[in-house]
Order: sequence, then structure tokens, then C-alpha cells
Amino acid sequence: MKTPPFKLFQPKTIEEAISISSNFIENNEQFDWIAGGTDLLPNYKWHLNTKPNVISLALIEDLFHLDSTHIGAMVRLHDLANFADAHPIIKKAAASIASVLIRQSGTVGGNIALDTRCFWYNQAEEWRRSIEWCHKCDCDTSADCRVIANQNELCVATYQADLAPSLMVLNAQIHLCGPDGSRDMPLSEFFELDGIKRNVLKKGEIITHLTISDDANSWEGDYQKLSLRESWDFPEAGVAAAWRYSSQSPSEGLELRIATTALESIPRLHNNITNEALINKSTIDEIAAKLRLDVKPVNNTTFPPNYRKKMVEVLCKKALDGMKGELT
Amino acid sequence: MSKEIKGYRQQPGKLPFAKPGSGGREPFSKLRDLDMIPESEGGKRPQPKGKNRHDHLLTGSSVGRRTPLVDSNWKVTGQAKYGDDIRIPNELIGRILRSPHHYAKIRSIDTSEAEAIPGVLAIETGQQHTDLFGVLPVTKDEHAMAVDKVRHVGDLVACVAAEDEATALEALRKIKVDYEILKPIHNMKKSLDDVDEPIHDRGKYHIGQSNVQKRVFQEFGNFDGMKKAHASSKEKWKFAGVNHGFTEPHAVVANWEPSGRLTLYTPQQVPHYVHRSLADVLKIPMHQINVHRTFVGGGFGGKSDPFPHEMCAAILARKTGRPVRITFDRDEVFYTNRGRHPSHIEMNIHVDDNARICGIETDALIDGGAFASFGHVTTYYNGVLHTAPYEIGSFHYTGARVWTNKPASGAMRGHGAVNSRCAVELGIDDICTQLEVDPISFRLANLLPPHSSTITGFRITSIGMRECLERVREACDWEQKFRKLPLGHGIGIGCGFFISGSGLPIHWDPNKFPHATVHLKIDMDGGVTIHTGAADIGQGSDTVVAQSVSEVLGLPIEMIRVKSRDSDTSPVDLGSYSSRVTFMNANAAISAAIEIREELLKATAEICNVDKETLVIGDRRIYQKKDPAVGISYLEALHKAQEDRGALVSSGSYRTPPMGGVHKGAAAGLAPAYSFSAYAAEVKVDPETGITKVIKVWAAHDCGRALNPLSVEGQIIGSCHMGLGQVLTEEMKYGRNGSLLNPNLLDYKIPTVHEMPEVVPIIVESNDPEGPFGAKEAGEGPLLPILPAVCNAVYDAIGIRTNELPITPDKLYKQIERKMKVLDIKSPLDLPNPTLNHSELQKALDERANEHKIRDSERKLNTEREPYYNGTLFGKISTIPPEEQDENWTLSVTPSEEYLANPRLAGSAWKHQEVRHMNKGDDA
Repeated sequence: MKTPPFKLFQPKTIEEAISISSNFIENNEQFDWIAGGTDLLPNYKWHLNTKPNVISLALIEDLFHLDSTHIGAMVRLHDLANFADAHPIIKKAAASIASVLIRQSGTVGGNIALDTRCFWYNQAEEWRRSIEWCHKCDCDTSADCRVIANQNELCVATYQADLAPSLMVLNAQIHLCGPDGSRDMPLSEFFELDGIKRNVLKKGEIITHLTISDDANSWEGDYQKLSLRESWDFPEAGVAAAWRYSSQSPSEGLELRIATTALESIPRLHNNITNEALINKSTIDEIAAKLRLDVKPVNNTTFPPNYRKKMVEVLCKKALDGMKGELT
Repeated sequence: MSKEIKGYRQQPGKLPFAKPGSGGREPFSKLRDLDMIPESEGGKRPQPKGKNRHDHLLTGSSVGRRTPLVDSNWKVTGQAKYGDDIRIPNELIGRILRSPHHYAKIRSIDTSEAEAIPGVLAIETGQQHTDLFGVLPVTKDEHAMAVDKVRHVGDLVACVAAEDEATALEALRKIKVDYEILKPIHNMKKSLDDVDEPIHDRGKYHIGQSNVQKRVFQEFGNFDGMKKAHASSKEKWKFAGVNHGFTEPHAVVANWEPSGRLTLYTPQQVPHYVHRSLADVLKIPMHQINVHRTFVGGGFGGKSDPFPHEMCAAILARKTGRPVRITFDRDEVFYTNRGRHPSHIEMNIHVDDNARICGIETDALIDGGAFASFGHVTTYYNGVLHTAPYEIGSFHYTGARVWTNKPASGAMRGHGAVNSRCAVELGIDDICTQLEVDPISFRLANLLPPHSSTITGFRITSIGMRECLERVREACDWEQKFRKLPLGHGIGIGCGFFISGSGLPIHWDPNKFPHATVHLKIDMDGGVTIHTGAADIGQGSDTVVAQSVSEVLGLPIEMIRVKSRDSDTSPVDLGSYSSRVTFMNANAAISAAIEIREELLKATAEICNVDKETLVIGDRRIYQKKDPAVGISYLEALHKAQEDRGALVSSGSYRTPPMGGVHKGAAAGLAPAYSFSAYAAEVKVDPETGITKVIKVWAAHDCGRALNPLSVEGQIIGSCHMGLGQVLTEEMKYGRNGSLLNPNLLDYKIPTVHEMPEVVPIIVESNDPEGPFGAKEAGEGPLLPILPAVCNAVYDAIGIRTNELPITPDKLYKQIERKMKVLDIKSPLDLPNPTLNHSELQKALDERANEHKIRDSERKLNTEREPYYNGTLFGKISTIPPEEQDENWTLSVTPSEEYLANPRLAGSAWKHQEVRHMNKGDDA
């Protein structure tokens, strides 16, 4: 297995990084960003969408800042998992990612922008040739999607990162910077439903950091992950839940958010379900059953989709276990 | 003293060549450790299992001591050279073009464009190398590269040698192959049918027009009992294929040396077969080839075939005149595979009203993938290796191995025995549940005694099964836990039985040539050089051979050096498979060491002027047993023995005794000894998710005698890990189009440290009469019981009996849902928890077990014992073979018309006629 050669750029400031990327865009040259490299380099070894130029973010100090409301994109997952002031849900999610070794290298930004995964995509070049290529990475071959035949509209590769749902339920804001300037948005609006497009990042744009509101600590919650092994594995399903009782009386003013990951091409906040549940004062079991119906996994990861769907219900119940029974 | 030569300048003999007593790290020799010397030899080591023929050779040096492996320093300091670490100046990089199609004919290959790339030195295809090879002489069906057709995705098509890897890969992309795609077969059941284009053509031996590679039919015993069985367990099993998952991918370096000879550096378990195959494929005599075994980063059976890529490296090196190195990516390892066969096994077990196993019926269809590999043997092993440790009334086995368009299956730790053993042990657990008896009691009341003969005629010598079961029962607190733990928490038992060395050397007549040969050489420095061809693959074969010699000669282990790498200097050895090395090579090493020992004793007797018989060997010193003051150092004795001749050399070998029946296939499963094991596993199952977690394992293994307890424990713990993979997570997954979906170590789920439970290894020593110092194998047998132990524990936890491995959460959850539906339960937390109220049979079983315990211990210690044939438990006369005393005793290796009218799955392979018989039919 051989990583194809690429040219590495190592800017020291965000401005420098953006100017390098702008330059590539102007000259119509292909490039990738690299943070911890734990996702990109294995993909490169498999010749998945390799680019001749790679810009490293590893020397940009501004991206490493970490405090209770600000998480820099280059913060290592290991550091986040062990950061005393991080919200418990975030710590739990971060600590569940891959293995100790990978967390030492992998970054928050890299995990948020993780490439989507699929049995028919994350394979060596020769393997993909044997299935007459994959729609997601060998686009010039006009290959069909191998998961759902006869559809080249939407790539259904699965987003299998752990951090996003926990940050979403804490209402995290994501901050981007690119040739057209900086912008920010709720993390839940960052993702775009397509396994190839994945998110709103424009060419040359990077994630700089995430911010979490001051009141995050008034939220309780949990993250539940389904995987075959306790280490190494990407989630097969993940449910994050957060809730708080904002007024004196617990029955009044309950707020609840639930987000899922590893079930579709994007992680998703299920406001439709939680809002309805709060109005109807549903039970936890009812919410969990609704959540199961709201996700649409496909058959491209280790576990079959119907099992993952069923487990979303179980994970949801377990995630909401800390709440006091019913929402009334 | 010899007469001195006056005036001779060097005064030989007067110069202090080496100080007597020197050698080894300790300056002074130690007294014999009497705790390591058996009582019968004047020591203090108790012998509850009787004496051993090697007892008088024990010096207390290293046997039985926890000995770090002799090659471990190389490994822990990073100086061990594995396949890919061999770097010869001027090397080229070889890469292999593999088939993108499951099954296709090769119309043409155009290499011109690739050859034109600067830096590409050679491209070879199968056309020039058409000689067949294969690990078994009877089923040679592999080529260096595909000649006429490719048989699976990843099959070898061409190979390239280039200045660097990038250039080689570029060349692969430029090779144009024109394929005619054929209809592939992935479903092993379909391979039983006749097709237009079978995957191989075996000429007159081809079985119909089908893809059946090997079929076995065996019926032994009296089937009357089975027909009126009191209770039966019937199950249809599905086992996924698993890969060895060794750390080091295959790698090979071929170099044609200035002498004109080829040296092939390869991490091989069986260098000798590679040696033979290279000679066939390259068409050069074997003496022109040196096979150098590098350090092996794990084998487990997966590096025991001669491989096409090894041929490719040699071919490319010959063509370019430069060394060629080929290292695999992990996906190439999966395409090479040789892992455990995906199998469909039907297992029916019947017991009579006395809870005796009156019949086992097994039907095993195993998926061999595209090549034969060891499959001929695997087909037998799936049946014959569960005819013990239990005494059985009848045994029916039909097995078939078929070709499919997948990577070839082959030998993997526990070869052929693992899946069907799991099915047997679950069947027994099921029957015990039906009979309401304790499964350990049931087993203890149905064991064969020591020195008995199985139903198919295997010769059992030592058997520590009873002790394994008893010690595990005690260690795990069985009585307090079994069927008494809360829902989701369970404990289960499983047993194992495995060969300790295959009785038949594949390539020659065991009556003519030995299985193993070991040479010793000792020069004036006193260190002992061992030449052996046994392949150390991390299991410690160098260590066990070194220990054996060190023990007999009374030397510390650091005075022994093992040269086992080069076929140029090693005597021919069959290699590391079928758990044969300890038994055969250590026996050969002992007999070589005995020769040296005799020389040393003779020299000592001469110098000390005492009777040779009164001497014993201690730590680097030979002395009179009664008066240790009378004696000399090892070096003095050695130098005396070397007078007039120089270095001492000796050779020892091992050959199995004649044994076994005469029926077709009687040799399969024959071994000079068998290992036994019993494990208990405690698990937690989450009924809501189906996730199973093994929390603790008590693992008792009868290895005869632990020559090195450290490595026996290592093997037991490692086996648990490997078996846990197969039972819980590992699976070679094939997609709907037959593609292998997980040829990488992220998606192929080997358990991590988090999944690994605490394992309590329990070593049982049954003192084998023929093993080296009483030892048997500990490499493969320990894997077998973990699978059924876990499955039975899952049943104990949630009352669900699995029939499909691995028990991934999704599969188990499906069963949970099914059960909830049947019982009309809403929540999985309301599943009924299995309980046990002993039936009246329990008492009878306990009584029988007690009687048998006395019987076994008497047989073990009585050297004048009479024969014991399987069948005695059913009222037959123990000393007469059952076929000679029972008119209704069947012994058949071909199916009857009656059977063929309604065969089981694998049995239906017998519906075809072999081509040679078809022609005969035509003539008539």
C-alpha cells in the first residue's frame, strides 16, 4: 500500500493557510486539508480522492485554543476527552472515538468534517475496480452507487463520527474561515445531506473552532454509542441527548434535544420529535420509538440497517435514562 | 594421562583452553534441584501419573521451568528480521496483478505498455510457468499465476519487478488483460450441483461435473441404539469463514546468489513444502535452493501452504538477476486467506436412557474457496476429530468440501476440528438441559479411559480430560453459578480434543522416513548447536528443542543455540502444523542428546574410573550419584570425549509407532497422542442489544507435561483470544455480489484488549507415555473449547441457543426477538432465565463418573493393562474390537443406496459419480 506523492504545505497562520488555498483555487489546482491525518492518510493509501497538494493545519497556533466555551479545530480528541472543563457529554463522546493512539493524533475539526464511510468506498483501488468502481470516489468512471442500485443522485455513504451529535445537543456554533471571509452557524446547519458534498464547507474554507454557550453547564445529558468493539470501531449508531429544567417547577419549561449520528450521511438533530414530545408530554419509550422511525440507515456498515434502527430506540432510552421517567 | 610431546612449542593439553565448569552465565555449577527430579530417580517431584520413559534423563535444568523464549530478545529489541526486513543490496520490488473478476477466462494479456515504463525490469505471467503445485501431493491445483482462468477476486494474474514500488504499481495499471467473464459461484450449496464450467478439472478423478473437491462418508458402530434414542439434539449450524489475522503480512525475498543457487527468504511455517514446490515450478533440483525461514510474525496455519507469490518472487529474481522483494498489503493477505472454512454443519446427537451417547450424526459442507490447500484433510477432520473424548455408540459422518469463487480456505489453528467441536459441545449442553442433568457430570460419566481406542480406531494414550473438567468445575465455582445466575449473566462449559502431531507425513511413508530429525554439534567451546528444520513461528519451537537438549545434557539454556532457519543446514522437517513440533522435534532432539550424553558419561567414567551406570548429570557437572564429590565438569568430560575426533555430532529422529485402522481415510486424525481441554466461560449478555461480553474464562488444558509452563499459558490465553474472535466478532463478510467486504483490520473485527476477559490458565499434566518427558501439544487444542464454552454461557445467560457464528449482536438480537414473539413477551428483560432441577438421572451419572474415575486412574498406572475399545460403555467386551463381537457393527466408508435416496446436505455430494467410474459404466 503506497500513499501517492503529494506536496505538503505548512502555514503558520490562518491567513497564510487561506492565501495558499486561494492560490490553488485561482490556478485550478486540487488540494486537501490535513489536521490529525487519521482519516485522510488511510484514505490516501487506498487512493480515495487523492490530491496532489495537502495543506497542514498543524502549525497554526490559533486553532489549538481550548476552554469551556471555545474548542479549537486542532484540539486533539485526547485532550478534549481529558479536559476538566469540557461538558460531560462531549467528554464521553470524545473518549469513545477510535482508540487512544488515534485520539492522540485525531482532532476535533477532523472528526466534525470526517469523510463519510461505506463498505463499497473504503476499499483499496484494486477492490473498487473489482466492483467496477464507486460513485463516491471514482466519479469520472460514472459508476453507479453500489448500495442503492440505479441512483446516482445522492451518495448514501454514512457519517460515522462521534462528536457531532453531542455538540449539536449543546447547541454548538461552528466557525469557518475561507477566502470569502469568516462565517458561523449552528453545527446542526453545517451538514448537507449527501455523502459526497457532506457539509457546507466551500473550497478553501476551514473550520476554525466551535463555540458552546455559557449556559451549557445547565444541561444534563448523555451520549450512547453502538459498536461491535469497545475500541477502534466507528459508531454504528450514536444518540446524544441533553435536557434541562429551566424554571422552578420541573414539569414546566423542560427543554430536550436529541441528535443522532452514524445512521445517515449526516448527523441530525431531531427537533421535530422532541418538540412534539414536549407538547404531548410523551414518555421516553414513545420518544425512542419515534426516533427509530425517524432514521433511515442503509446497508453499508458493519451492522445491518434494521438492527441499527432498532438499537437507536434502545440507545435513546439509555441516553434519556438520567431523566426522571416521563416528561410530565 | 597421554604422553606429552617434548619440545613441541604449543604444549597441547597444557594450555588452559577453557576453565572447567565455565559456560553459562553463572560461574559455578549448581546442585541438582531435586524438586525437578522425579521420585523414582531419587528426587522429590511427585509422580501421581506414574513414571515416564524419559524420567532418567531429567537433570533439572530447564524442563518444567518458566523459560522465556530463546528468541524473545531479538523481538523485544526490534532486531528480529521478519520477511519484509530482509534487505539485499540492489533489490527490486515485486508487485502482483490480481484478478478483478470472480471467475473469468484469460483471453490474452498485453504487457507491452507496462514493460515500456522506465524502471520496470520484468513482467511475468502464468503462461510460462504452468507446473502445478500445492501443499498436499494429492491435490496440487495451484499455479504461480493464473494460466487459463482466474478463480476469485484477487487471484494472481501477473507479476512485475521494478526499481521501486510506485513504478511497479504503475506497471500493474498498464497491463491489459482481456477476460471472458464466467458465471461465478459463491454459495457453497450451489457448488454441489453439476455446472458447465467447474472451477477445477481433476480429470478422471473429477466428481461428476460438480465443484465438489473432496467427499467423505463414514459409518462406524451399532446404529440400533440411535434409532431408539431417549433424547436427541438436532441442530443446523452456519459458521462464517475466519482469517488468521496474523500481524505480519506475507512477505518474501528471492535472491539468486553468485553461486547460481536460489535463496528464498520467507516467513513460512512449512519451509520444506515451499522447497519442493519451488523445485517443481522453477524446474531445478532441490539442492539448488536454500529456503531461509525468517522470523515469522504469526502463522496459525495461514503460512503453511507453499504460496504463488513465493514462486513469483523466485521467477522475477531469476529473470532480472537481481533480488526481488514482495510484501503484501493486508487485503492481499485476505485474498490469500487459507483461513477457517465457512461451513454448514448438521449435528445430531442422541443419548439413550442411561445418558450414554448412543450416536453422533454429522454432516459438514465446507466452503473451500478456489483452491484445495489442506482441504482434503479438513474434510476428514470435521468429522473424525469429534469421536473423542466421549465414548459413543455409533458415528455417522458425511463431509464435503466444495470449490467456490472465493479466496481459498485452508488450515487454521484447530484445523477442521473447531466448528464441529463447537456443534458437538452445544448438542451435549442441549441434551443435558433436556435430561435435566449437569453438563459436567454428563461429560465425566461418558469419557473414554486412558489407553483406549476410539470408535474409528484412534489410539488414545494419556487423557487428562477428567482432571480438566474437575479442576475447571472447582476453579469457576460451577455449582454456585450454573443455571443460578440472573438473566443476562451466565456460565458455560466446553471441551476440546485435538491431535498432537499428524500421524502421517504427507510426502512420504512414515515407515521409511522419520517425521523429524535433529542434529547436534558440540565443539570445544562447550556450546551446543542444534540443527532442526522445525519452524519457530512465535510458538516457541526453538525454545522447546533447546530446552530438551539443555535438560538431557544438564546445561543452562544460554549454552544452546538453535539453527533452524536455512534448509541448507537444517535436516528436513515437516514444519509447524498439526501441533507436531513439541511432540516430534523434542523427541528427536532428546534422542540426539542421548547419544551425546552417552559419550559424556563414558568419558567421565574413564577419567574418574567409575562405573558409567553410577553417574548422573547435574548442572555442567557429571558425578557419581552417591558421592557427588567424585566427578568432573562438563567441559572436562567433553574435551575427553572429543579426543581423537574433534567436535561431537549426533543425530536423532522421531517416527510415529504403527497405529490406526485400515479403512479409507483411517490415517486422517491419527496422532501419536491427543490433547484434551475443558473451559468454563462466564459471560454477560445485554438482552436489549444482544451484545455479549465474556468476563472471565477458566481454561484447563492437558498438555501431558508443561515443558515450559510460561509458553503453555501463553498458548492458552492466546487461543482464548483467537477463539473469542471467531465466536463473537470475526467473519469474512461477502457482499451480495460475492465481494469480500472487509479485507482490512478495521472491518475484520479482531477482539481488542477491551473484549479480552481475564483468563485463568490451568495446566493439567497427564504424563504421556510417548511424548518428550511426557509432553503433548498446547498450540491448537486450547482454542477448541472456548467457542462452545461461550455459546453455552450465552444460553445460560438468556436461554437462547445459537446456531450461527459469530454471535454478533444483530444475530443474537434477532433470536431474542424471535423468542419474545414465541413467548409473547414485550420486553427482552422479561425473557425466562434457564434453571435446572436435577432429574433422577443425575445421581446415576455421578455414580458412573465416580466408578470411571477409579477405572481411569487404575488404567493409567497399570503398565500391564488390557486393551479397551470404544463400545465397552454399551456393554461390549472391552478387550475385543467391537466389530469382532457385534454382528450389527457397521464399518463403512461409502454410502448405501438407501442413504443416497435421501442424503443430507454434504452427503448429497455422493450422488455424483467420479469421471473414471462413469467411463467404466459406459464400457459395461
